[in-house]
Amino acid sequence: MAKNINEIIENDDVVVVKKSNKRAVGHVIYYIFGICLSFAFLFPILYMIATSTKSQERIANDAGTLLMFLPDFSNIGGWLNNYAVIFGDYNVGRYALNSFIYAIIVIILNILINGMAAYAICKLKFPGKKFFNFIIMFLIIVPVETSIIPLYSICKTMLQLRQAASILAIILPQTISIFNIFLFIQFFSSIPKDYEEAARMDGANTIQIFFKVILPLSKPIIATVAVFCFIGVWNDYLWPTMVLNDDSLMPIQAALTTIQSIEGITTGQIMASLVTTSIPIFVVYVLAQKYIVKGFSGGLKL
Amino acid sequence: MDLILSAILIFVAFVLIFLGVFIIDIIRAKKHNQKYRFKPMLASFLFLLPAIVLAFFFVVLPIIYSLAYSFTDYNLLKPEQISFNGFDNFVKIFKDIASGGMLSHAIQNTLLFVVLVVPLQIGLALGLALFCNVKVKGNFFFKVCFFTPVVISLTITSYLWLEILSPSETGLLNSFLGLFGVAPQDFINNPKMTIIWIVIISAWQGCGYQMLIFLSALSGIRKDLYEAARLDGCNAWQRFLHVTLPGLRPTLLYITITVFIGACRIMVQPMLMVGYQENSVTLSYLMYYEGYSKHYVGYSAAIALIMTIVIGTITLLQRKFLGGKNNG
Repeated sequence: MAKNINEIIENDDVVVVKKSNKRAVGHVIYYIFGICLSFAFLFPILYMIATSTKSQERIANDAGTLLMFLPDFSNIGGWLNNYAVIFGDYNVGRYALNSFIYAIIVIILNILINGMAAYAICKLKFPGKKFFNFIIMFLIIVPVETSIIPLYSICKTMLQLRQAASILAIILPQTISIFNIFLFIQFFSSIPKDYEEAARMDGANTIQIFFKVILPLSKPIIATVAVFCFIGVWNDYLWPTMVLNDDSLMPIQAALTTIQSIEGITTGQIMASLVTTSIPIFVVYVLAQKYIVKGFSGGLKL
Repeated sequence: MDLILSAILIFVAFVLIFLGVFIIDIIRAKKHNQKYRFKPMLASFLFLLPAIVLAFFFVVLPIIYSLAYSFTDYNLLKPEQISFNGFDNFVKIFKDIASGGMLSHAIQNTLLFVVLVVPLQIGLALGLALFCNVKVKGNFFFKVCFFTPVVISLTITSYLWLEILSPSETGLLNSFLGLFGVAPQDFINNPKMTIIWIVIISAWQGCGYQMLIFLSALSGIRKDLYEAARLDGCNAWQRFLHVTLPGLRPTLLYITITVFIGACRIMVQPMLMVGYQENSVTLSYLMYYEGYSKHYVGYSAAIALIMTIVIGTITLLQRKFLGGKNNG
């Protein structure tokens, strides 16, 4: 395998011009190899999508053939049957809506809270600034997972985890993110001071400057943070299962566990719920590609 | 109630520390004939206030409590009976390891997982990055394919693979093996294979992300180095060894550390796919199970403390030994 790749690299480097037919052979090998590899990476997802369109008998029929990875073309009208069941009988729509609501609230609060903090640390002059910088650098190193149980006991004591409060317990811990403060600081420090000074000349105060000058200039970083927040909230599984005891408030990932264990659910229906859960994330990744890459490279500079 | 009281005390302590820093800064500014104006100062504290309050309750306090709980017998069901018990939790940890209980299984499983998944995932990611780095039309498609598993969540991956590895005859792997006359098996619950399967699933899901990082690092290696190596008569393998690999060194270090830390935290996949069994329990899972399901927060926090120290030390060592001169 490794040898193959190296041969291809050799073929493709620009300096030495080799015979073109040897190169074409190299390309064909490359494509065949690439398609095999892609299939190795995609087959579970193809299987998931294909199976979600099938009835239980059809799944049994297709087992062991390549039809496992293709939707049931003999019954195109029935592709959405499983989806109708999970949305109609198992409330998947409700759970998805919950997730969307949590995500939107978290995104708005997260951007406001962390953006404001980052702005103060980056652009304003106040005593104790170095102390804050130090705390941020320290907190970004400490792993979060190890403190999930104490976090749970704090939320349990403070909020008592009644119905309304348990929503707060889901939302509030996600609204603060040291990493996002860090991303915002990085971005704000690239905004020239002239903008603020000009606005100050015109008589704007600090709050006005932040909302009318800085935030409109920061659309790229806001998009990045929003995308990360959405992915984070949508994919969060453990925390909601810990703090929520009311089934109707469950976000969709946590509800998957409930759906999975429903008596008499078919493989097709499980797959349909998995596909439904993945679709928004796929959409976000496709639409927000460029912001996601930006966020990744921001993290790399650590 | 104790929890709220101690939270208030810690908050007051923080405010005092901050006031100290605040006053020192003001005095220092005065010495240099600078002045803090009141209005921007007030504005900046207003801006910081929500973040400070939230960070205090949901980031700082859990860390402090995690530390404090590890020296107590705190039980979630009996919060009023909390008392300090010194190093009892740590003694219990060593006893549990010695007696070969769940904890020793957790350590074995986590070690096995880390030792297998770190090289596998990084190797795969590097291979895929080299593959996608070839300038051929249409390899964007390959990149997208390799990255797709990264996008879906751990929950979905776990349930999806549970179906793929399903013990029934119609499960994907069993039906495939059935073509060769192999009898249906229960793959994931086979005690020897559980961790191996989770390694495969994690590497499959994770390596696309590291591939992207490798790709951006590869594009940063100067092309003339390859030409020089070629003129010196290096073959492809030697060029990889002497040009590509040194060029990737800082990236390799970063990726090794992040994959390593991620691997140490493995929890959701064994939890959803197998449950709390000897062959599947990992350190994070045990920590969660002891703290949340069994309510022994003290014991759980002690394990968390040891884990944090071990992971932190290994990370520092990795940085030192893998970093070399490139990472100054």
